Amino acid sequence: MKKTAAMILALVLTLSLSAAALAEDAYRVGVCQLVQHVALDAATQGFQDALTEKLGDKVTFDVQNASGDSNTCSTIVNNFISANVNLIMANATPALQAAVAATGDIPILGTSVTDYATALDIDDWNGATGMNVSGTSDLAPLEQQADMLHELFPDAKKVGLLYCSAEPNSKYQVNVITEYLTALGYECIEYTFADSNDVASVTQNACDGCDVLYIPTDNTAASCTEAIRNVVEPALKPVIAGEEGICAGCGVATLSISYYDLGYATGEMAYEVLVNGADVATMNVRFAPNVTKEYNAEMCALLGVQIPEDYVAIQ
Amino acid sequence: MNFSALLNAMPGAIAQGLIWGIMAIGVFITYKVLDLADLTVDGSMATGGAVCVMLMLNGVNVWIALLCAILAGMLAGLLTGVLHTAMGIPPILAGILTQLSLYSVNLAIMEFKANQGINVTKYALIVSQRNVRSADLGNPIFTVLLILALLIGVLYWFFGTELGSALRATGANEAMSRAQGINTNRAKILGLMISNGIVALSSALLSHYQGFVDVNMGRGAIVIGLAAVIISEVMFGKLFRNFALKLTGVALGAVLYYIVIQIVLWLGLNTNLLKLLSALIVAVFLGIPYWKAHFSVNRAGKGGREHA
Repeated sequence: MKKTAAMILALVLTLSLSAAALAEDAYRVGVCQLVQHVALDAATQGFQDALTEKLGDKVTFDVQNASGDSNTCSTIVNNFISANVNLIMANATPALQAAVAATGDIPILGTSVTDYATALDIDDWNGATGMNVSGTSDLAPLEQQADMLHELFPDAKKVGLLYCSAEPNSKYQVNVITEYLTALGYECIEYTFADSNDVASVTQNACDGCDVLYIPTDNTAASCTEAIRNVVEPALKPVIAGEEGICAGCGVATLSISYYDLGYATGEMAYEVLVNGADVATMNVRFAPNVTKEYNAEMCALLGVQIPEDYVAIQ
Repeated sequence: MNFSALLNAMPGAIAQGLIWGIMAIGVFITYKVLDLADLTVDGSMATGGAVCVMLMLNGVNVWIALLCAILAGMLAGLLTGVLHTAMGIPPILAGILTQLSLYSVNLAIMEFKANQGINVTKYALIVSQRNVRSADLGNPIFTVLLILALLIGVLYWFFGTELGSALRATGANEAMSRAQGINTNRAKILGLMISNGIVALSSALLSHYQGFVDVNMGRGAIVIGLAAVIISEVMFGKLFRNFALKLTGVALGAVLYYIVIQIVLWLGLNTNLLKLLSALIVAVFLGIPYWKAHFSVNRAGKGGREHA
């Protein structure tokens, strides 16, 4: 028993010594990502690329993934704070909330968060949070998406809004785009599923009741586009998607933002904070730098949808 | 990665563990005292937080909100109990049904939003992760310890009363209890209500601690609860015979669970493997009593032969 304890202690000490030698004179950044997901992975990658490009080996990353368990975000963030990181990057809403609950001092940058005011319970929103938090929003250009739907399907009457009830960001986007679509003369009907198991039946329901479907940047929908496609394709219902991944899987067209670019922009903000001493409290939350009109050539051909010339085919 | 960082991470792990310890006591009451495996907790672990946070956002006093959260959890337990006793549904299935329905109920409580933040600077939260390293009475560790002591005291008293003893008897031997004139169905419902009320209390504290409530917050909660119960049995089973000490051991079990997770994170484990690790911890602690029994039987056999 004593021997084992001594061995563990020796091991721990060796490890801590070797680590301490590395950590000198470098910026340490903790990245807490909510779940393994193509878009979130791209944002983390973009963030790391931006900072590495600017700082080289003067920055070290501790990238941790909560595997979809929002409680684990707290554990991860606690680990960052005890390691005294210089900055925390929180990827997705619960990761951001856990970080904010844990520290009022260490600067926090969020990404893949749609609405900071809702996530952080801020009433008087003016573009910056006023606390140790800033970041980038993945809010899709919803008004332009509504216009796009109108451009492609001017004769449709009913639009089905399909999303997962567990995702606050989806709900928010649906609320906003409903306003725009109603103003354009469409009737909007919401269809929500609780998890990937009821996607197929809810989608079928939506196909039966609507002319066109709209899916926001919904993580659950993104992870089961095949299941959605298996329903919408035989029903011949076109889907306008909030992001490229969903569009490539089951949609006809999208106005897409790149999560890599979003992460990259967050990395540039991190540089401002770490090196130039910018104050996160007054830094405005930034949005996606550029958007592109894209279409899914295969689905458009199958459903007979005519696409104007300024759209780019998804590879 | 250095050793002082690990030490510095301990207050957070202890606070989180203590809050989950309250939840584990709830699991202990169904799993050990009542001998029922109740899966309602995966749902009620979000219900408590949802009720408490939404009421507070609507201007209700924090302690009243906490009380309502506990009552909401008890209602969830009541539902499972009724499904089990009045409709004859096996307890595991009854719990799963309630848990499933609670997903929708929790969403409805949160005004159909999946996630609701609550800001520590704007509301008088009972505990917050932000104060976990402060050395005053606002530290969540003190507050949760106080609540735990109170809870254990009340439970110790309750399980000594006639009603509480009837509940324990039901778990120990249902047929015998019925023969003694105990209404075992009523005892089971009561046990499920108490258990889920405690889980909801833990849920409310957790939502304060991490500054938000999420509809998926309870997913996998039962695993952590069971882990705490089993860790405490393996670590303190011989030491803690008294009922109050047993409950304390369960809370310590949850703390140990979170300390292990924190150490593993600190050692630099790829967090993609965290769920696998949680399952491993529980499996190992479940296995230890079995191995011990197996091992000691073999030894007894040997000794027996020598002395024969």
